[in-house]
Amino acid sequence: MKLLLIEDEKELAVSIKKYLTDKNFIIEWVNNKKDAIDKISIYEYDCILLDLMLPDGNGFDILKEVKDQKKTDGIIIISAKETLETRIEGFEIGADDYITKPFHLSELLVRVQALIRRKNFNGNNFIAFNEIQIDTLSKTVKVNSQKIDFTKKEIDLLLYLIGNENRVLSKSAIAEHLSGDMADMLDNHDFVYAHIKNLKRKLNDAGCGDYIKSVYGLGYKWKNE
Amino acid sequence: MNKKLLHKTLRAYLIYSLLILIIAAPVFYYVTQKLYLQEADDTLLLHKKEFTTFAAPSMNETEINDWNKFNRNRKIGTIGNLQKDTVYSTAYFDTLDAELEPYRELQAPIIIKGKAYTYTSRINLVENEDIIKSIGLLFLVIISTLLIGLFFIAKKLSLSLWKPFYKTLEQIEYFQIDDTRQPVFLNSDTEEFNRLNDSIKKLIEKNTAIYKTQKEFIENAAHELQTPLAVFQATVDTLMQRADVTKEQLAILDSLNENVSRLNRLNKNLLLLSKMENDIYSDKKTISLTAAVKKNLDFFTEQAKAKNLLIRIESNEDFEIKSNPVLTDVLISNLFLNSLKHNIEGGQIHVVIERCKLTFSNTGQSIPLNTNTLFNRFSKANPSEQGTGLGLSLIKKIANINNWIVTYNYENNLHSFSISF
Repeated sequence: MKLLLIEDEKELAVSIKKYLTDKNFIIEWVNNKKDAIDKISIYEYDCILLDLMLPDGNGFDILKEVKDQKKTDGIIIISAKETLETRIEGFEIGADDYITKPFHLSELLVRVQALIRRKNFNGNNFIAFNEIQIDTLSKTVKVNSQKIDFTKKEIDLLLYLIGNENRVLSKSAIAEHLSGDMADMLDNHDFVYAHIKNLKRKLNDAGCGDYIKSVYGLGYKWKNE
Repeated sequence: MNKKLLHKTLRAYLIYSLLILIIAAPVFYYVTQKLYLQEADDTLLLHKKEFTTFAAPSMNETEINDWNKFNRNRKIGTIGNLQKDTVYSTAYFDTLDAELEPYRELQAPIIIKGKAYTYTSRINLVENEDIIKSIGLLFLVIISTLLIGLFFIAKKLSLSLWKPFYKTLEQIEYFQIDDTRQPVFLNSDTEEFNRLNDSIKKLIEKNTAIYKTQKEFIENAAHELQTPLAVFQATVDTLMQRADVTKEQLAILDSLNENVSRLNRLNKNLLLLSKMENDIYSDKKTISLTAAVKKNLDFFTEQAKAKNLLIRIESNEDFEIKSNPVLTDVLISNLFLNSLKHNIEGGQIHVVIERCKLTFSNTGQSIPLNTNTLFNRFSKANPSEQGTGLGLSLIKKIANINNWIVTYNYENNLHSFSISF
């Protein structure tokens, strides 16, 4: 999978690059509008991560350029601007997703995965992990071909965990993923524990391996045994 | 009680006039009486002089009886041991009017045909009572005329003189620092008022500028913080993935992570507050209050489970409000969050939706909160807690924008926050 990261903040770009590269993504990074447009004109990307405030212009111009060239690259805006107007403008021009800075890298990863899944949609809405199979379209989970009853939230959590395989996910990152916009309000992440516990129990009951590992104090990790 | 400027001026006039009346009336009375008596005495003496000059020389003894017979007020007495003229006041009973009448009387020694007699002459005086009445009435008329005149003059003068002042006052009364409309002051031909207007104008301009800078500062600061926060967050996320992290380092990472989340929340709430101050959320829609509460219910029920709390919703009557949907959502979720956060293990949250009123009650600490600082930014009942300290000030701000009233009370071990629409 090829990704183009357009971000002028070097340290942030390095972190994103590192986190995503390990997940079988090939990432190219540019830090200005001119280089970005050059790259887009020449290559095809599965996904473009776009910062809106660049030293030599507005990210929206790049977005328009992509659309003008009739490219089908998926686009996720990553921006510190979080007004509703900016969001709506972004979606109207043709962005596929919008993440407000600051964000968790794990969140960015699952958003990229989800976007690519949607883009390469043709029959490929299944995620498999050993005995677990998830249909992201009908939101159903099968373990050893046996359909298991999961709530929407549990499937969401499962997708998030599997998508971030072998990554330590802090409680706050999981809480923010599960609660979306409401995350800004929460100062207590106890509910994460309850959700993880339920998910673990259901997977266990279905005869799954024990993939959810607790990382001392900090959070959880999905790991193949 | 506060009095109007006009009333204050008039009061001073009234007091002065009454004072003058009280002092002047008796003085006037005594002076008049004295002058009157003097005049009476002069007349009596003149009459006597006329008598001694014209009548006495040609009068004989037999004529004295005739004189006395026809003169009521001038009599000639036979006793002639008086040495000199004496004048005094006395009273006689008037048989015609049947009352005592005051008189001024002169007794003087005279000689008729070489024999000494006493000449007695009297003048009827006006009764004191009558004088006092007349003077009083006169003064009353003067004072009332004066006061009525003063009242109208002062009123007319103050209306025209103070007109620019009242205009300025009106402008200041309607002025609000977070309002973009600036007050307009009219020029007047009075120097003092122009000076007043100029000073107020300068004061307002200066304060508005300071307010604007402050507002921009908060907004910019919150906005500028987002990028370093993003780097911070991403770096912590990356560091967490290292395989060689020890348990101790994990604890440090956990603390870093918690705090970057907290910074993030704080920053977002600050941004929200400053956006509200910039009138970004001004478009309003009709919202069902019950639906708005229910929308948040799932999320907070989930949160409440972690603390073993019971949420009870009582909605007797749905009520529709006109407000910005985003702000209403922030208001309700903050009310939920507040009652959740300050609750006790196994406690409860009670939401009541009534006509024009929404109340969130919750169990919590057993002492009432300090209402003076409750709604201030960064005011916390417990300084060590993880909250941003902005929740209640957000609630207050949203209520203010919509002209709603937030009240807090503590009763039966329940802390209640009510919004009156």
